Amino acid sequence: MTYYSNEVARLTKSLYPHDDLTKHIIQSKLFIDKHFSEDINLDKIAGRAMVSKFHFIRVFKKYYGSTPNQYLQNVRIEMAKKLLRKGKSIEEVCYAIGFTSKTSFISLFKKMTGKTPLTFQNKKAILNSN
Amino acid sequence: MKIKVTSVMVDDQDKALKFYTEKLGFVKKKEVPLGEYKWLTVVSGEEPDGVELLLEPMGFAPARVYQKALKDAGIPLTMFNVDNIQSEYERLERSGVKFSMKPTQMGPATIAVFDDTCGNNIQLVQV
Repeated sequence: MTYYSNEVARLTKSLYPHDDLTKHIIQSKLFIDKHFSEDINLDKIAGRAMVSKFHFIRVFKKYYGSTPNQYLQNVRIEMAKKLLRKGKSIEEVCYAIGFTSKTSFISLFKKMTGKTPLTFQNKKAILNSN
Repeated sequence: MKIKVTSVMVDDQDKALKFYTEKLGFVKKKEVPLGEYKWLTVVSGEEPDGVELLLEPMGFAPARVYQKALKDAGIPLTMFNVDNIQSEYERLERSGVKFSMKPTQMGPATIAVFDDTCGNNIQLVQV
């Protein structure tokens, strides 16, 4: 056993003592990864959590560094980038990642990436043509 | 300000390029002669325009002390994300890569640590 392995074991024991809760939070994260393009909400994400919603959000954030909703937005925007790179239109991308409003998609995209979807796509097109 | 390059210190750049491309599967991006060494970077094939990893020579002797201390303690110098850690672990082990930590769950993440043969421990992470 290295020093590092020992530290990992020690931290795992002290930070994640509840196996069931850990499994549950991981399930919720995987649920988001799979269903991000659908109309999902906190109830669906939390599933059959045996904890209150507030506690669920707090624990999720402790595990992943972001709330379930922030994580969902992150997954959606990452997918949007992939689709924009493939040349999909902003409208197509918007609906493919579970947004119902183009305006809110564009503003979230800009907030998270620093560029509008159109600028992002055009920049990629210029890079690829060189 | 942007993060374009990060680095791992390597004891031999040619050996490192071989390991990082042939074993790990990264792709060479830049190779620019710089005196006795070179500016040598690789990228992930999945993200060719992503952050570049500089295979940095250790011309500065104290760097070796730092590298060895981390190596001996089993501490990873850096980490790479994978989609399926179990299959990557099996693939790398089959090709002769030595692991000091097999895939191990740590809360929401699963991590594994291998020897890059250039003086470092490298961690794989699946979240």
